Order: sequence, then structure tokens, then C-alpha cells
Amino acid sequence: MSLVLDHVSKVYGRGAIAVRAVQDMSLAMEAGEIVALLGSSGCGKTSTLRMIAGFESVTEGAITLAGRRIDALEPAGRGVAMAFEGYALYPPLTVAENIGFGLARRKGRGEVDRRVRAIAELLDIGDLLERRPSRLSGGQQQRASLARALAREADLYLLDEPMGQLEPQLRAILRGRVKALIKERHLTAVLVTHDQTEANAMADRIAVMEGGVLQQFASPDALRDHPENLFVATFIGEPPMNVLTVERCGDGVALGGAAAVAFAGLALPPGQRVVLGIRPHRLRLGEGALAGTIVSNQWLGDQAHVVIAFADQLLVAVSHHKVAVRVEEKIAFGFAPEDAHFFDAATGAALRHGGLGR
Amino acid sequence: MTGLEISAIHARFGRHEVLRGVDLAVAPGETLVLFGPSGAGKTVLLRAIAGLEPGALGQVVIDGQDVSARGPEARNIGMAFQNFALYPHMSARDNIASPLVARGLPADEIATRVVEIAQLLRIGHVLSHPPRALSNGQKQRTALARALVGRPRVLLLDDPLRNVDAKLRYEMRLELPRLLRESQAATLYVTQDYREAMALGDRVAVLRAGRIEQCDASETVYDWPATAAVARLFGDPPVNLLACRPVADPAGLRAEAAGFRLVLDASAEAAGKACLLGLRPETLSLAAAGPDAARLEVIATTPLHERLVVLLRAGDGTEIVASLLGAAPAPGAHVHVAADAAAALLFDAASGARIPARRVMAGIAA
Repeated sequence: MSLVLDHVSKVYGRGAIAVRAVQDMSLAMEAGEIVALLGSSGCGKTSTLRMIAGFESVTEGAITLAGRRIDALEPAGRGVAMAFEGYALYPPLTVAENIGFGLARRKGRGEVDRRVRAIAELLDIGDLLERRPSRLSGGQQQRASLARALAREADLYLLDEPMGQLEPQLRAILRGRVKALIKERHLTAVLVTHDQTEANAMADRIAVMEGGVLQQFASPDALRDHPENLFVATFIGEPPMNVLTVERCGDGVALGGAAAVAFAGLALPPGQRVVLGIRPHRLRLGEGALAGTIVSNQWLGDQAHVVIAFADQLLVAVSHHKVAVRVEEKIAFGFAPEDAHFFDAATGAALRHGGLGR
Repeated sequence: MTGLEISAIHARFGRHEVLRGVDLAVAPGETLVLFGPSGAGKTVLLRAIAGLEPGALGQVVIDGQDVSARGPEARNIGMAFQNFALYPHMSARDNIASPLVARGLPADEIATRVVEIAQLLRIGHVLSHPPRALSNGQKQRTALARALVGRPRVLLLDDPLRNVDAKLRYEMRLELPRLLRESQAATLYVTQDYREAMALGDRVAVLRAGRIEQCDASETVYDWPATAAVARLFGDPPVNLLACRPVADPAGLRAEAAGFRLVLDASAEAAGKACLLGLRPETLSLAAAGPDAARLEVIATTPLHERLVVLLRAGDGTEIVASLLGAAPAPGAHVHVAADAAAALLFDAASGARIPARRVMAGIAA
């Protein structure tokens, strides 16, 4: 185990005005793992990050890193390297001096220069090493800050929105390079982001947070195929999962009054309202027992987004190939039973994934 | 002609020329997306059309009438912005009604039209709320309702979905095309997201350094970009651009770079010239070893929306990004990658302009 959060809570204020920013959060990371804390603003991910870094006290619970309890230590004593907003570069120092700052004392001069140059070139700021931070763009500052963190030796790397300001043309290559570097050096990294594409691209496992509560901690594939609740199911995935409120009908569910879809062995109490979810990539166009009307058919260069009006609702289907249908046309569609997800309409808890119980 | 026509729009801030002669025409009911990197001049152009940029030169014609000399309020334009720009002290209802109140319409007509548009945008239940009590999505819908309620002839939307979350952005992407079509306004829609541009635009105008670099149907811009710069702005991950010097071939041109060898249906004029070979990541695929496939090392895989983005490295150090379907190759492995020659692009390295295709008669190629 590397980083362990054990029943960690963060409460701001006290009494009637107390705000629970993080509630009873537990997770354990392996050494060499990349974990993303993912959620929208106010979900508790930044408070969690700040508690791990030591900028915020822990109200309840314990944090251990590489076997040491760290939650009472000063930030500098925790063995954590950080890159984040507000953790600014030192203005009077050049980019090279900033990146080499933590290294200078223990390493020889030549070794420091070599490492600084290597990490700067990896992040495409090799030609900016002699500049001062004030002469860099936002994206360049972000990369310099990331370089400074990655150049250090630490038990844990905390990276807050490390590539958020990067121009899209650089993002794919830099994500790949940084991931390769982290894996090669067997670093343990926590990435905090609101951007699920970044989390999916970089992380081995993702901790999805909402309302201060850890919703699910799992691999990207598991979040896609086995979301534990409706929040995770609809938060993860682009475009988001299609959801329909349905009722049991015979051995299946009724969709939009008319169409019924059979699910062998679907054990729902009669009349219970459940939410049926189907990912846009799993809707099959041109085949199946359902019928709808095409609202739009948008080709986005490498994928088609087809919108179908069905049962007073809009459903989105994604195809990797162009789809030959026009707006206003009727279309048959369907889905395989194993691609259906069922959730309790009242609590949002997952009832079942796919054709068989999970 | 009806709709919006602008010609020779120029704007400068001090010595910096922001707009350098922009011409565009948008038909009623049409959505033209204005797309470009930040700093390209998109917002300045919208402000110039609205009459909010006093220093701007050029002609703005709406429904055949030259409005260039009129003030903003006399142009019959509806606007919405990425920061919503709602009046904080007014309810959603009063915000939406404000353009009609300014025009002095009777109170009962205002009330009817506000409710109508609010229902269309599904914010009928929050009309009495002040902006601070609205979610970001509701704020954006309120701002759109205010832009649409006056039934403007021209609608200017400045990145309206920028500050709403992903779920809502998709919802609006689904609803907006129909809404805009039905409004019959000539819509100019600014975005920095190429997917949004392709999803919403009947056509896309690419603004770069103050000029329109290409204005075409969105698929055309993606498949046949006018320049290497436009090619790089569309696509995630972006197009690979590889330096090459193509040679003449019976079937067009033969280009080699990073281990790829392709025969391109491209004009022979580019033979021997310094060029950029443009390979879109999704047109690359794993292949069997062969003389035309590149042998590349897998550096890292970074999944993206059901696809695998793979960073690869050629023997000469060139980095290639591929977007694959199916199983992930392991980092450190060497794989063979083939490129779809029919989708490959070729650009003049000096000018950036795309080398046009040359249709070859069947049977000429050996």
C-alpha cells in the first residue's frame, strides 16, 4: 500500500453552520498507481487533496503514506511533490532554477542540469528554461509547475488539474509522455480533475466524488460497465448514458407505454419503478424491437451522434462510422440485454448490470 | 437578400490588427459556427456586428438593410454570452422580458411571450427566481430565452455552453439545432470546441489571425481542411503532421515518413517539394508487417471515449498518435501500423496550403 485514507472527514466551521466538505472517505492506493479524484466543483476533491498535501487539517480519520502516518506532519515533511494552482513558481527564479529547486542540495550540478533538461524537454518547455515565470503563458506555467513536481523524488505526486490549460493540440502527446514517465519510474500519483477525459486517459483507477462523498473507486472500465449508482452512471461517459424510467411488465420492462423488452429472470417486484440505462455506444441502430424518429444525425469527424425521439424523450446513439439516416425518418433500434443497466428509481442504487445479475 | 451579410469588417486595437477584412453571409434559419483559437478575433467580430465595437470598419447588412450606422439597440439582434450576463437584481422572468420592455410592448403580450419561450427552454418553473438561485444550466437557458424572446433576425451566441457541465452541454447540443432552426434567425455561433462546431453548425467558418481561413460544411472542413493549421484545429487527438518530400508515382505521389509509405491521390506539382503528410489518428490501424506499414514502439495508451489513444514512437524519434478501436497494445511493445491512404492529407510545408487531389483514371496505375 502506498497512500491510505482511513475514514477521513473534513468539516469547516462548527455547530449549526458546519459544512462537511469530505465525509468518511476511505481509499487505498498501490505503489506505482495513478489515481484520479474526479468530480465537479464543490464535490470535495480539492479538500481531499489539500488534506493529503497538509494545507488543511484532517477533522477525523487518518492518512498514511508508504507506511507512515502523515496527517499531523508539516507539508514539507510528508514526502509529497505537488503541482497545483496557487502553488506558484518562484517569480525571481528562471524556469530551470524553479524545476531544479528541490534537487540542488543533494545532487551534483551536472546531474541536476541533466534532469532539469530531460523533464523540460518531455513537457515541451526545453526552450523556455532561461525565462522567468512572468514571461510564460498560463499553459507554459502549468507545464513548468508539473516539471518541478516530477523532477523531485517523493513518495507521492499530487497533481491538481495538471493539464487543464494545455492547448488541445499538445494534450494527447503530453498525456502519453507523462503517463509513460510515471509508469517507467514507478511513481505513485494522485491527479485531481473535473475533466473525465483527463481522468480516463491517465488513471488506473478513478475515485468519483459528489457532495463530499466517495461514490465509487474503480477502474475506468468498471465505472463504465458496473457503475454502483445512477450518479456515477450518468456522470461518467461522453455523451452521458441514456436513462429511461420504466416499470416491470411480464418478464421484462415496459418502455414508453407501447414497447416492452423482455429480460429473462429480471427479478423486480411488480410495479416497481426502475431506471433503465443504456450507453450511447451500445444502442444498435437499424435493428431491434424499438422504433423512434431521427432528430439529428451529426458526424463529428471520427464518430456519429444520432439523436432519436422515443417515448417523449431524446436518446443518443454513437457510432464509429457514418450512419445513413436523415432527420424526421423513422428508425428501428434496440440494445443487447447485457448492455442494459437497472437502477432503483428512488435511491439511485444499481440493481443489476446486463442480462445476468451481478 | 435576407439574413445577415457582413463585408470587409476590420478592427484594430492600437497597432494590433484584430480583424483583417472579414466577409460572411448567414441565411435565415441557418447556423454558421465561428470557430477559432483564442485570440483569433471571434468575440470582437460578434461585437462589431452588434454595433458594440465603435472602432470597427465595414458593412453590416440585415435583411437587406445596411445597419452599419445604427446603434446596437436598433439592429434587431439577440445576444447570449458564455458568462450569461444576467441582471442580478431581476428575476429570470424580468431578465427574459427586458428586451421587450425596452421596446415598449404591452404588458400582456410581454407576459405571454416570456412564458412561451420559457416553456420551450424548460425553465417555466423558475421564472420567479433571481439568477443567484438558478443553476448554471438554468442561467444559460435564461440567457438564451432573453436572446430569443424578441424574435431577432440575427442571433449572436458567444460560446454559450462554455460554462455549463458536460451533461448539460450535451443536452443543449441536442436541443439547440431545432430551436435555432425554428427561430428563423440568422445565427452566428462562437465556440472553441470543434465537436460543438461540427454538431451545431450548418457551416463552419474558421477564423485565424483576423481572417476567415475556410468556410465550408463541417464535414468538408474536417475531411478536406484548406490548410495544415485548420487541420490541426479539428480532431481529438489532433492530426499527425509529418515532414516529407513526396516523389512522383503513376498513381499520384508517393510519400514516406516515420516508416509509413503511402501513394496519395494528389497533384504531381508537389513532387520534390517540402511537404507535411497529415495522418488523422483515427485513420491509423494495427496491421500485419509489410513494406507500407510503419514499425512503431508503444509509449503509452490513454483511453478516450471508447477509443484508445496510443502514443507511438518511430525509430527516428518521431511521435505518432493513433486512435484505435479494440484491445490496447502494451507499452514497450513494437507494433505495425497502417495508414488509410484515401484519408491522408498533404500540405505544402512553406505555405501550409493543402495539395489538391488529382483524379486518376482507372487502369493508368500499374
